[in-house]
Amino acid sequence: MSDLSQVLERKATRRRWLLLTPALVILVFAASGPLLITLVYSFLTPGDYGGVVWTFSGEAWFNVVFQRDIFDETLGWSDAHLSIFWRSIKLSLMTTLACLIFGFPTAYFIATRPKKQRDFWMLLIIIPFWTNLLIRTFAVLELIRNEGTINTILLGIGVIDEPIQMLFTEFSIILGMFYVYLPLMVLPVYASLERLDFNLVEAGYDLYATRLRVLRRVILPLVKPGVIAGSILVFVPSLGAYVTPRVMGGGNQLMIGNLIELQFGQGRNWPLGAALSITLLAIVMVALLAYVRAAGNEEVRHG
Amino acid sequence: MRLLPRRASLSIGGWCVTTAISARNLRKTYPGQPPVHALGGIDLDILDNEFFTLLGPSGCGKTTILRLIAGFEHPTSGTLEMFGTSLLDAPPHKRQINTVFQNYALFPHMTVAQNIGFGLEMLGRPRAEINAAVEEMMALVQMTQMADRQTSQISGGQQQRVALARALAPKPKVLLLDEPLSALDFKLRKAMQLELKRLQTETGITFIFVTHDQEEALTMSDRIAVMSDGAIRQIGGPRDIYDHPSDRFVADFIGDTNFLSAETVSADGTTIRLSSGKEITVSGAPVQGKVSLAVRPEYARLTTEEAGLLSGTLGEVVYFGTDTHFHVALDDGTAFVLRQQNGPDVTVAFATGDRVGVHFPPATAQVLRD
Amino acid sequence: MADRAFDIRKQTGFTGIAIACFVMLYMPIILLVVYSFNAGTSIAIWEGFSWRWYTSAWANEQVQEATFRSLVIAVWASGISTTVAVLAALATTRTRKFKGQTTVFAMINQPLMVPEIVTAVALLIFFAMIKVATGYTGLFYLIIAHSAFCIPFAYLPIRARLQGMDLTLEQAAADLYATPFQAFRRITLPQLWPGILAGAMLAFVISLDDVVITEFVKSAGQDTLPTYMLGQLRRVVTPEINAISTALLGISVTMVIAFTLLSKFRN
Repeated sequence: MSDLSQVLERKATRRRWLLLTPALVILVFAASGPLLITLVYSFLTPGDYGGVVWTFSGEAWFNVVFQRDIFDETLGWSDAHLSIFWRSIKLSLMTTLACLIFGFPTAYFIATRPKKQRDFWMLLIIIPFWTNLLIRTFAVLELIRNEGTINTILLGIGVIDEPIQMLFTEFSIILGMFYVYLPLMVLPVYASLERLDFNLVEAGYDLYATRLRVLRRVILPLVKPGVIAGSILVFVPSLGAYVTPRVMGGGNQLMIGNLIELQFGQGRNWPLGAALSITLLAIVMVALLAYVRAAGNEEVRHG
Repeated sequence: MRLLPRRASLSIGGWCVTTAISARNLRKTYPGQPPVHALGGIDLDILDNEFFTLLGPSGCGKTTILRLIAGFEHPTSGTLEMFGTSLLDAPPHKRQINTVFQNYALFPHMTVAQNIGFGLEMLGRPRAEINAAVEEMMALVQMTQMADRQTSQISGGQQQRVALARALAPKPKVLLLDEPLSALDFKLRKAMQLELKRLQTETGITFIFVTHDQEEALTMSDRIAVMSDGAIRQIGGPRDIYDHPSDRFVADFIGDTNFLSAETVSADGTTIRLSSGKEITVSGAPVQGKVSLAVRPEYARLTTEEAGLLSGTLGEVVYFGTDTHFHVALDDGTAFVLRQQNGPDVTVAFATGDRVGVHFPPATAQVLRD
Repeated sequence: MADRAFDIRKQTGFTGIAIACFVMLYMPIILLVVYSFNAGTSIAIWEGFSWRWYTSAWANEQVQEATFRSLVIAVWASGISTTVAVLAALATTRTRKFKGQTTVFAMINQPLMVPEIVTAVALLIFFAMIKVATGYTGLFYLIIAHSAFCIPFAYLPIRARLQGMDLTLEQAAADLYATPFQAFRRITLPQLWPGILAGAMLAFVISLDDVVITEFVKSAGQDTLPTYMLGQLRRVVTPEINAISTALLGISVTMVIAFTLLSKFRN
């Protein structure tokens, strides 16, 4: 009879894989497969007009962080690349920080509304999140460009004589990314805050804590998982951002995403582009893994 | 152990008793580290037209038996037959068995009538026949007014009735009931117990009922199987199981019991010496030497220290409305509880702290392996 | 008012920041919408109400083509991704842990985890190989690419719906003589519909809004509405862009609100 249950088990397994096949075929064809080919490309030689020549080369990986001097072939750090990496990380961190500073109080505000109102406020957060990223970036662009709303108003009331250059700066990139990724901070922080037992806050006040201390010693430690999740959710797409730095940075302030694109455009160095892509992917994966670890530990402790 | 004599006695009467469900060496093990032995090789015969109850604490394997019979799970080994035909190759939808689920599992997107008619519809019966059967079933469970309601709009008790009607409508040979009353409140549960018994008698369908509530089992069943740890400890009628538990687990699980330590005196085991030194004659002990004696609280009564089989000091006296409980600390250190029915003529002659005696008819005491 | 209760939920300044956040979130969008109705050519100086930019956008052949292309891709992509996501959700929900489960989940969620630019580049490389080998440069590449990154968005609400469904309902159906197919069609599917619809709508919106992957995968002359807009940003911006944006926003907002209502419905 144990044969029977084995037969049934095998049948269930076959049915499961049959159902999964269509999805997996599409994903292999248009997601994971191309990723593997990208990895292969990063070890090839660039073609003269884009594309690749199928000979092995470690040059692309070498060029990710190093460069040879054009004249005397001496080895050096690739300052251009390193400065772009540095800018990407710096701007992403600042975006994350800005989202936290504004997102946490917003999530707190929503979580402390009466239950019936909360869904409405959350909908207000969710709507921008699901609307076109390009349009949202564009909306901010219109606000801060030299002939944009802010400068027009300021000029009109005579506060300034000539427009303030806000666009095409690091500030404008941070502003743009802050604007498009803010919902990603509010959502998980709100999820933690909503589960927060406000009896604990009462207990804090009962034991003579001030508002600030209740926030720091009671509320923040309890919603830490949500804050970490929100930070990762903002940091990861910021690091790989392409549209926002392109629109808001105007080609002067490159981030990794734009550097990658450059290799497939004017740079005509596909292997380098592939190597840079894999590098970006690796950084993102490390961040995600760290998050999964942290979340896992958190769960174990609370479970 | 009690299985063989009981089965034999059923054929003695000379009646032709058909077995509805028959299991031999039925075993279910769930893989894992370590593997879970949900059912450790049981033998079971459930007769046609009987109200059979599987009774035991949660995790004892009673629901596993039900799910094996219904076909939602497959045994690791053993045989399972219905009216002499093996069930094991039939998927659930090919078994003439219906189930009343613990949470009712009513289809939320269908009306009461659609739910009840679902089984017949799946069997491909003509519309007219389905409608007639649905009418009949709704009348049987007194739900005729509710035919077009959504299942979310009716009360728990009504959902229970719909679940019953839905399972009965295809006229199954066997009806499985998985703790169907556990979600109802006390009064409704009492009413449904009687109703279930009535339905079983009226329809003549074999009911296999799973519960952890011993009182429910005792009031409704023709026969009960008491289970623990994936094994059947005893099968018998309600009275049989209550008065003659086969082991300490059954005695403890069904009703309240006092356990006394004693030892056999005579070679045939019919004379037993209590811890007080007094000897009583019982129907027979399973072993020689040290034994346990199970005494039901309501079969014992308080008496003077000299007149009792055992003596001790009266502790708490707790009033329970219908009866009063007396807690006695026996001289050998064991605690003993007596239960006395309250009534207009009943008076209590003892108070806390008094020296008292405890007496019980020796025939009501059950001798168990220690 | 004599007795002012101590509000334990209050944190000084939080409400102000929250209000500022909501204003910041909506002000640019509202201005964008407002100026789409501007009679003048500026996106900052209001010169009166007019539909002129909507008419001019509608008359623009490039916009028409891009709109049509966007819709075709979104319909195909949401249809394909939702279909395969339903099957995948049925295979991976309410079962014991199975061999290869982690890999399957990683593959389905890959588009959510891998930065879009990386996926875009990978698709550019892979599809360039195929384009060279086959000579075919049609819409298929965009449709299949969109289908792939829409799968997790379609999969998650369907899976959530399935997980919330009572497993005993299907057992009850089997118990009442329904074959596995009948049980699926009569019991599982009717209850799964809101999840499927929600998943399809999410996939549709995601496909409609995509810029990065489309930008890298498209062949010449295959602009969708977002990539067309991205191209226009390099030129002098007129409120025509605002008008197109407003129309797209309208679709997204409608879908999201419908999605929210749908996921609440009977859940």
